[in-house]
Amino acid sequence: MQHDDVIWSVLNGQFCSYKQQKSKTQIFCSNEYNLTGLCDRRSCPLANSQYATVREEKGILYLYMKVVERSHYPKKQWEKIKLHENYIRALKQINEHLIYWPRFIRHKCKQRLTKLTQYIIRTRRLMLKKTAKQELVPIKKKAERRERRHEEKAFVAANIDRAIENELLERLKKGTYGDTYTFPVNAISMDEEDEEVESDEDEEEKEKEQESEEEIEYVEDFDESDAEDMEDMGDDMSDEEELIKSIPSSKKRSLEIEYEPAVEIPVRGAERAGIIYCYATRDSVADDWHVDKLEFKGSSQSQRFLFYDRALRRTSSSTEKLE
Amino acid sequence: MAASRPLVSVYNEKGQSTGNSVVLPAVFRAPIRTDIVNFVHDQMRRNKRQARAVSDKAGEQTSAESWGTGRAVARIPRVRGGGTHRSGQGAFGNMCRGGRMYAPLKVWRKWHRKINLKQRRYALVSAIAASGVPSLVLAKGHSIETVPEIPLVLSDKIQDLKKTKEAVGVLRKIGAWSDILKVYASKHTRAGKGKMRNRRTVMKRGPVIIYDKDNGVKKAFRNIPGVSLLSVERLNLLRLAPGGHVGRFVIWTESAFKKLDALYGTWSKKSQLKVDFNLPQPIMTNSDLGRLLKAFEIQSVLRAPIKRQARRKVKKNPLKNISLMSRLNPYAAVQKRRTLLQQLKGRRTGTTAESKIAARKERTHASLKTKRLSGVNLVKKTKKQQIGATTTTTTTATKTTVSTKSS
Repeated sequence: MQHDDVIWSVLNGQFCSYKQQKSKTQIFCSNEYNLTGLCDRRSCPLANSQYATVREEKGILYLYMKVVERSHYPKKQWEKIKLHENYIRALKQINEHLIYWPRFIRHKCKQRLTKLTQYIIRTRRLMLKKTAKQELVPIKKKAERRERRHEEKAFVAANIDRAIENELLERLKKGTYGDTYTFPVNAISMDEEDEEVESDEDEEEKEKEQESEEEIEYVEDFDESDAEDMEDMGDDMSDEEELIKSIPSSKKRSLEIEYEPAVEIPVRGAERAGIIYCYATRDSVADDWHVDKLEFKGSSQSQRFLFYDRALRRTSSSTEKLE
Repeated sequence: MAASRPLVSVYNEKGQSTGNSVVLPAVFRAPIRTDIVNFVHDQMRRNKRQARAVSDKAGEQTSAESWGTGRAVARIPRVRGGGTHRSGQGAFGNMCRGGRMYAPLKVWRKWHRKINLKQRRYALVSAIAASGVPSLVLAKGHSIETVPEIPLVLSDKIQDLKKTKEAVGVLRKIGAWSDILKVYASKHTRAGKGKMRNRRTVMKRGPVIIYDKDNGVKKAFRNIPGVSLLSVERLNLLRLAPGGHVGRFVIWTESAFKKLDALYGTWSKKSQLKVDFNLPQPIMTNSDLGRLLKAFEIQSVLRAPIKRQARRKVKKNPLKNISLMSRLNPYAAVQKRRTLLQQLKGRRTGTTAESKIAARKERTHASLKTKRLSGVNLVKKTKKQQIGATTTTTTTATKTTVSTKSS
């Protein structure tokens, strides 16, 4: 009782979820088995109990056929026949299988076969070209804009200069550089940069002052006993150095010898945490630090990503420019 | 009825066909009247409404009175008194700020609708019939490509399910899970104020499970998103045709399926469980229009089709149309040729009638030209015009320029 015409009157009149009317002139059908892609009485795969299509899967063309007898078994409804690779043989196959079928379906199947073979040829040609191997990804303006702003903010927040300096000083203090540098470690402070440019003379003066104090003590000691003091002299000389080393750190932070430190700065962001590896140089003691290279490595990643390289800068000014 | 009633096989909870099969109930062959379904659905939907209205005091709680004319203000009632912003402001009107609305809503609006029993039953029957057509279920939007058969009938063991986990397992095995996945994918936040009125999420409808006896089915299936549960005895159009559109995906249990014949009757037998009800008669016993038009019984009675219709012919004048003339009088062509030749000859000698006429024309033309230039009155009535003048005296004398033909 529920014949094709009844079904079509329901689909056309009431509701069909595959109907796409995006333009006023043409109604399309988004059903994947549709022959023509249009929504009309002859092309509707739902309203025709005897229907056939040609479809392509991974470069191979198949003929799908549906008959009344299987209309109530959705799982087994479509019979799938692999078409020959040769176009003319495939045409013959269609003629064979759809021999007593309505002319419209037969004709449209062959047309579709033609179009799909052309499409397959084109795809193959494209695959061989380089352009196909490159995946073209669209630029999303909004997302790009957002990401750039995030990067800028993160860069500012990371405070790389400060972090580098701190890291370097820490290393120095720890003694990882050993005998490489021959300036008193404790003379360097980690505090403000205000009195950075203090001359060596001041330092020496301070040292001298402290020395003189010790000298005074030493003299007193000397007064008390003779022999013991003679021995002590030598010890005290070394003590001086130790004392100098243990002098409470002054505000000076100058590092006399230039070297190229590599600093690890732990960073944490909204999405993940990681470490920024920073390589910096400076021309002289009085100069600012110039960041040479910045690399980022996420905590779960194995690879480091170079996101700033001084050598690639376009202008010599801003260090905040990120490539 | 010419409706064939095939056998529908029953599937077990593992998705395999048990040996049993049930004869398709006659309901599935009932006419699908989407217009009735739409109407009844529309009416039924109004029955769940709760009354809402505006307070009848709203906007009326002032003793405002119009200032009348002569005060250089509009004549709407204005609030009395002074000392506040409100004094002198317009009140009462629907156009006024703080005034009562136009036609304040009343609770005694007719919220619910009565629907005729027959109509209700007709709609339900149509909806059930539509659920048995795979095309209509697909068109509704359900993904039933992996379902073994439509209508889908499962064994009664389903009714005894207790755990949702088992229920999900059953749905997976029978290929209905893809429909539920569609439901999951369609979950989104509602548009509109319903968000803050405890109706935050919206999602599609999945399959509806129709059972006979609830031994736990309801509880087992009810937490699966999209699934609805109905008892056969109390079928709901709002669940069988959600949105007013027919073709929801239905999963029957065997006993529920068998009960349909008793509930709705076959045409030959009335319904046993419903009072005075039988399935609606279709207008066409055979609705396959395509097949009908090709059938011998009809074709033999029809006249032959008019492939070429004779259209009105434009009459052509043989005196002007040479081909038509020669069709009527073949000798005319000969005559014409002869006269033409004579004329050509005469043109040189000046003796043919044509050439004489032409010569005379030239002479009169020349004389007329000189007369015109000299200012002579050229009014000259032809014979026809003289006759016309005597018969109709009211006509004024027409000034005619002498045309060459009249001479």
